[in-house]
Amino acid sequence: MSIASRRYRRNRIAMVLSAGAAGIGLFFLAAILWTLLWKGLGAIRPSIFLQMTPPPGSNGGLGNAIFGSLAMTFVSILIATPIGILAGTYLSEYARGSKIGEAAKFINDVLLSAPSIIVGLFVYAVLVVPFGHFSAWSGAIALAVIALPVINRTTQDMLQLVPNSLREATAALGAPRWKSMTFVIYRSAWSGILTGVLLAIARVSGETAPLLFTALNNQYWSTDMSQPMANLPVVIFQFAMSPYDDWQRLAWGGALIITVAILALNILARSLSGRRSS
Amino acid sequence: MTMMTDTALNGSRARAEAISRRMRQQDRLFFWLTWGSATGVVLVLLGVLVSLLWDSLPAFRHFGIAFIWTERWSPAKDIFGALAPIYGTLVTSAIAMVIGVPVSFGIAIFLTEICPKRLRRPIGTAIELLAGIPSIIYGLWGFFVLAPVMQQVVQPFLINTFGDLPGIGILFSGAPYGIGLLTAGLVLAIMILPFITSVSRDVFNTVPVMLRESAYGMGMTTWEVVRYIIIPYTRLGLVGGIMVGLGRALGETMAVTFVIGNSHHIRASLLSPATTISAAIANEFAEATSPLYTSSLIALGLILFFITFSVLALAKWLIGRTESF
Repeated sequence: MSIASRRYRRNRIAMVLSAGAAGIGLFFLAAILWTLLWKGLGAIRPSIFLQMTPPPGSNGGLGNAIFGSLAMTFVSILIATPIGILAGTYLSEYARGSKIGEAAKFINDVLLSAPSIIVGLFVYAVLVVPFGHFSAWSGAIALAVIALPVINRTTQDMLQLVPNSLREATAALGAPRWKSMTFVIYRSAWSGILTGVLLAIARVSGETAPLLFTALNNQYWSTDMSQPMANLPVVIFQFAMSPYDDWQRLAWGGALIITVAILALNILARSLSGRRSS
Repeated sequence: MTMMTDTALNGSRARAEAISRRMRQQDRLFFWLTWGSATGVVLVLLGVLVSLLWDSLPAFRHFGIAFIWTERWSPAKDIFGALAPIYGTLVTSAIAMVIGVPVSFGIAIFLTEICPKRLRRPIGTAIELLAGIPSIIYGLWGFFVLAPVMQQVVQPFLINTFGDLPGIGILFSGAPYGIGLLTAGLVLAIMILPFITSVSRDVFNTVPVMLRESAYGMGMTTWEVVRYIIIPYTRLGLVGGIMVGLGRALGETMAVTFVIGNSHHIRASLLSPATTISAAIANEFAEATSPLYTSSLIALGLILFFITFSVLALAKWLIGRTESF
């Protein structure tokens, strides 16, 4: 066989393998989504949103868990967004290039990649043990600790993209720095920062590990943030591992709801950031 | 007349000074707000570290440093050792790497070199959506869909094919449980695909067009361009991408908890049930009855934190070195 044909054959094999790799990735995405639809769709009826988590063997829904997830995600984002944006502002505007700034950025990345179960252990130690009981507040704060570095990082990246001429122009007009930031710089970076917030929401709303020993779970309807609160991920975990058919059905329904919500958030965030780059 | 202008001037100057003083104050307030938030992030990380160190102290004081290489885990007798979870964490991540890295590179090569332009965005987005699926969903899917397939098809095949070979046979011996190290590693491999793919795509795109085009101009095939131009040029960044994936795999909790089997015994077979650090914490923390039990689990968390931290630091260093090319 000539060298040329051997080279072409090798090329063809490599190309087929890499296309195959893409096929494998797409296959698993399709397999997971299909399983969710197949097993979860049957459980989606109005009652799943309206009724409470049932004891085994009776009918019910996931109303309290859906509410708990929404409430804790909402509170965590409410805490993490301002702190994350301000911290990102400091790192990008005031500490750019300085040694301390670089160190703080690295520390933020460490927090970003820390396993979420460790965040759960931390919040358990500082908020659950001292108060003596599990609470939705501690769950929300654990989620905030996970959302914070995400928002911080995207804010840094997005502010970095704002051209310096804008900063110089506002300074030349005599605007103080905070005015230049709030009226000009944030406005030109808002879609990127919003993308970061959306991604943070997507990230925390599926988190299970940090809630296992902070918010715990609650079989009943509760709006008291200082008490344990049901939430979708932990309920899915508990119900899926149970031997009861109706609990498992609810777990699949919850899994479908949470995945659809998170993928929708991801796609929304992507379209926001795509609009900016085009 | 002159007196009046003077007072008017003085008045407006005073007003201007008052305004500029207020602005300076607001500026200072804004600065301290941002500074305080950035410091807050640093304090949170310090808090995590200090609380882990503090709460794991009883375990280390009781068992000494030997905690790390003791296999025995016996809650009934209050004897704990971290070796089995550490082993499980490392082995599942290694399996995930062996499977996930080549596939991720393949996807990245496909997306940057072969894929028609029109399909690039949709396929790239679909792969990245894998990163958006929550880990509990991977666990659910791994337990109810993948594990039965492993038990009925893949593991019997592995046992029959490799089980009798000398040497590697021991890796594929025993009964097909479905759950265990191999299944957990496989789920992790799927989970890290989007992360390694995304970093690889980014570094592939840093190869100068000129370099790529000259190689094609010399008559290289696509594979040769990838093999001899793109991969050598982006080597460090690719290793950085692998590290990002590895960091994910090591710390992953829920997906592994479903399919690992939760056994604190080290067995050579990849088909046997085991445990990982994060799975042990997730499974046992709420049930830990004695203070020493709790402290041992937190000590496991501390070890995990150090492992993922080192991997991240290495990844940063390597990726940083490609950027400064």
